[in-house]
Amino acid sequence: MFNFIWLIPLLPLVGFALNVFVIRREREAGYVATGAVALSFLVALATFIQFAFSPPAEAKPPRVDLVLWNWISVGEFNVPFGLLFDPLSGVMVLLVTGVGALIHLYSIGYMHGDSRVVRYFAYLNLFVAMMLFLVMSDNMLLLFLGWEGVGLCSFLLIGHWFERRTATSAAAKAFVVNRIGDAAFLVAMMAIFAHFGTLSFYDIELADGAVIEGFLERADEISGLIFSIPGQNFLVSTGIAFLLLIGVTGKSAQLPLFVWLPDAMAGPTPVSALIHAATMVTAGVYLMARTHPIFELSAATQGWVTWIGALTALIAATAAVAQWDIKRVLAYSTVSQLGFMVAAAGMGAYVAAIFHLLTHGVFKALLFLGSGSVIHGTHDTQDMRKMGGLREHMPTTFITYLVGAGALAGIFPLAGFWSKDEIIAHAWSGQNFSIFLLLFVSSLLTAFYMGRQIALTFFGQQRDHSYHAHESGQVMTMPLMILAVGAVLAGAMNLPMLHWLSTWLEPTLHEHAAEFGVTQLILAVVTTLLAAGSGYLGWRYYVANSAKIKPGAKDPLYRYSGDIWEALEEAWYIDRAYEKLTVVPGFRALARFMAGVFDPQGIDGLVRGVGYAFSQAASALRVFQSGFVRTYALLFLAGVVMVVGYLLII
Amino acid sequence: MSQLGFPLLSIIVWLPALGALLLLLVPRTNDELSRRASLGVSTLTFAISCALPALFNPALPEAAAPAMQFVDQIDWIPSWGISYNVGLDGVSLWLVLLTTFITPITVLSTWDSVHKQVRAFQILMLLLETAMIGVFVAQDLFLFYIFWEFTLIPMAFMIGIWGSENRIYAAVKFFLYTFAGSVLMLVAIIALYILHRDAIAATTPGYVGTFDFGVIAEHLRSGSFVLEAGLAQALFGAFFLAFAIKTPMWPFHTWLPDAHVQAPTAGSVILAGVLLKLGTYGMIRFNLTLFPDASLWAAPAIGILAVIGIIYGAMTAYAQTDMKKLVAYSSVSHMGFVVLGIFALNQIGVSGALIQMINHGLSTGALFLLVGVIYERRHTREIGEFGGLWKVMPIYGGVTLLVVLSSAGLPGLNGFIGEFAIMQGAFMAYETGGARILGWPFVAFAVLGVILAAVYLLRMYGGAFMGDVGNPENAQLSDLSRREIVVLGLLCVPIIAIGLFPNLLFAPMETSVADVLHTFTGVVAGR
Repeated sequence: MFNFIWLIPLLPLVGFALNVFVIRREREAGYVATGAVALSFLVALATFIQFAFSPPAEAKPPRVDLVLWNWISVGEFNVPFGLLFDPLSGVMVLLVTGVGALIHLYSIGYMHGDSRVVRYFAYLNLFVAMMLFLVMSDNMLLLFLGWEGVGLCSFLLIGHWFERRTATSAAAKAFVVNRIGDAAFLVAMMAIFAHFGTLSFYDIELADGAVIEGFLERADEISGLIFSIPGQNFLVSTGIAFLLLIGVTGKSAQLPLFVWLPDAMAGPTPVSALIHAATMVTAGVYLMARTHPIFELSAATQGWVTWIGALTALIAATAAVAQWDIKRVLAYSTVSQLGFMVAAAGMGAYVAAIFHLLTHGVFKALLFLGSGSVIHGTHDTQDMRKMGGLREHMPTTFITYLVGAGALAGIFPLAGFWSKDEIIAHAWSGQNFSIFLLLFVSSLLTAFYMGRQIALTFFGQQRDHSYHAHESGQVMTMPLMILAVGAVLAGAMNLPMLHWLSTWLEPTLHEHAAEFGVTQLILAVVTTLLAAGSGYLGWRYYVANSAKIKPGAKDPLYRYSGDIWEALEEAWYIDRAYEKLTVVPGFRALARFMAGVFDPQGIDGLVRGVGYAFSQAASALRVFQSGFVRTYALLFLAGVVMVVGYLLII
Repeated sequence: MSQLGFPLLSIIVWLPALGALLLLLVPRTNDELSRRASLGVSTLTFAISCALPALFNPALPEAAAPAMQFVDQIDWIPSWGISYNVGLDGVSLWLVLLTTFITPITVLSTWDSVHKQVRAFQILMLLLETAMIGVFVAQDLFLFYIFWEFTLIPMAFMIGIWGSENRIYAAVKFFLYTFAGSVLMLVAIIALYILHRDAIAATTPGYVGTFDFGVIAEHLRSGSFVLEAGLAQALFGAFFLAFAIKTPMWPFHTWLPDAHVQAPTAGSVILAGVLLKLGTYGMIRFNLTLFPDASLWAAPAIGILAVIGIIYGAMTAYAQTDMKKLVAYSSVSHMGFVVLGIFALNQIGVSGALIQMINHGLSTGALFLLVGVIYERRHTREIGEFGGLWKVMPIYGGVTLLVVLSSAGLPGLNGFIGEFAIMQGAFMAYETGGARILGWPFVAFAVLGVILAAVYLLRMYGGAFMGDVGNPENAQLSDLSRREIVVLGLLCVPIIAIGLFPNLLFAPMETSVADVLHTFTGVVAGR
């Protein structure tokens, strides 16, 4: 199979092309798109199995590298268009194509009757292809192609219903905020090339025997190198890692660039599930795991990574508590969980980060699709105040949602319990108490807001009777059930005693499985008990107060918190601050000044001034052009005298 | 005669001019025929020019002379050492092809956009093509200058006759501004000729001098003709000013928005697509080759101007409400990247600059065509007048999105390759001793241009193409006609192809760029 790994990204790309140029009917579009991703999943699975049981012997550690063509070659700058399949890529590819295929299938039902459904499936296919390039690239530049490519698809899909102004501006916001991170990523790549002379991750042997060197195994070469800006010296590794971190904060929605993700919920819900929960937003975590040798050279950056992750986890979790929109709860929850992964990466626990990435990909996709099923079944209602009592009308959605919520809250033995516990255990054993506390509180809040959401959506009585709630069709509930099974079982891939995932990823991440002792066991028991308690509290409180909840009303907790609640609802006003206070208005005003005053009056004024001076001088000189022959004769004579005089003096 | 035994290059240069003569035979009132004839001639020119990359020998060993290929040389004014001398190397190869590719596309677009004095317009277009190709292939300074100046006249007429309300002002400004720059260059050319003649005549009595650029460059390299540092800097400055105005570099850019806004669509496409590249081509061909020390001396200052231009152009573009003006200012930003790459003075930077010239020609040309499409339908270009165009005109919306993304430098499309190579080159622009020519601070600011490009382009796209169809006048607009699809589709092909296979372009230019740069052996990539 190893020679056919190019099929994995190509199949969705073909689906994209078919949907753009050939297909015009909804039915075919859905089948082709889903089929392409499903086929891609099968190829990936076959490759994965072969890799597990008979890995390529020639490479140590085992990896498959397939250079498709020489992409850019200028002087000493050589970047191949090359695909990589190694343990880390392998698990990512399975997640992307597996969850991706289910979400495509679900979309057939969810998007039925949409006016631009063919285009929707085209974008969805393009997204999967780009995501696969991202995780299968063997060099930074091709990774960046995928990185910006998924950003583009995110833009297109958030803006799918572009008739709505909110969708258009959310799409543009997502793209621009991501671009800020991407610009830092670009500079990081340039620094990597300037110091290593290559952008490839690992050594690649080409068909003609030539070797393209990789930089990750030579990362030590820059250890101790410094660069300076006036008055300050920095490690080169800190510079590179910090720039990559900025890229990560953009793509993975971390502080301070997380503001685009909640708005991105303006897109169709399956898009939120695929892009803004399961795959694209985790690209930053993948990037840090892939380039961990660079990050490990810079203790300073690792500290930043950990703190950014932990703070994001907490701030987003508090924001999730105060949302009314069913999808915005999940959006902030995603930001918060990404914070867990980033914090784990910052602590050097890359396996835990990837483990949580994978389980989160499954159960958060499940939750989003579940919320989509609710929205679908309630005729486009998203405000949880208008819901309530839906468990009777939508039993399958309810049960699967419960499983997903339990997994997210970290309830034993569901998937999230194992992966989140591993991160919290790392924070504990790393002696970093403040980080531990931040993550621990966040995980309790997670359970609380999920309890709240379940209570508001599925329990009590239906508060708004303007719609008739119904269960979604099979094409939508089937993916929910499959994902629910996944959310139960996914934790098994890295059980504390077995460490399958740790062992599998060891060749790439060079990390030995953490010990599991009594401390960890106690910690795990305490966490899950407290989480269950917190979840129960959230559920109990909102069930008990369900009578006070009305469309447009304040949250029952508002009585205790006062205006802090509004701060939570607005995610601590961070987005508002960008919008109103500094960056955006300042930029706009400056741009207007430059375009409206400085350029036409200042610079062009100078130009016209010169022109004016010439025309004035010319009209002054015009008096000599009087037309009188005697004046010309006089001037002529003066000229002759001067020339002759000059010649005589020489 | 060239290595082929027949004057391929001269045919490509003069065929459009010949076509312009033939157009005089077409009845003045027969618009359709003159358009078709013009299209035929320019398409034929393109077809013939496709032989150039096919026959071009990319692996010419560096030492072997001449680096120029397809050379045609005939004495013209022997007593002054002026000859008709054209040739092609890796630097000019793709620029010639860009010209021959853009011209028929532009001609095809005139069906929709030029409705008066059609024959005259086509004649000017073909004359302009000859002049533009001539600039890229002339190897004699005198000939170069003639072609250079001759590009001005048809363009000024296009703006002045077929432009919108304020066309006379824009045409005069365009003409005077660029002409003022080139006069200085003429002085520099004559000075160079005299200095060179006198220097050589000191050892070879009776030497009449030469305008042959290659000979002068060769003598400079071998040391038989030495320019004093101050003099070299002055001559460098005179050449550079002419090219900087043409490019246009900040702060010499203010003629550009006026010219673009007033020019007809076809004029804007040619102006942005090809004419601006004359300036940056001149920088590589003349400034770097003739005055290496002065280039090294001036590089940081020029780099700063380039970076200012990148950010300034982008910010000013952001605040525009007229789409055409927005695209015009974006050119200032993009051409800033090109200049930055050139004065990185290393292989990757200059190669990146060259490929970015092609990219800018394709994507900005396409953007002007796209703005023209909507202008023909609605006679306005104000973003605020539109909204939801993507819904009314889905094909138009899709094509525009592709071009916008190319212009914003999305990886996988052409713009990214150029921008990345340029910034990588600037990042690594250091001298052997470690002295910085440009270095990472330049990149740190230039990369803001990448962010801002997304900001202003999405502002345009989001405002005009997304959102709901608020304005009833836009509700019934017809999508792209078949001809428009052909015109734009032709531009989209290289936009994608260059993004995925840039080596097709990089490979033939490698030796020639190395040749230009080999006087900068002190410049190293990396540190």
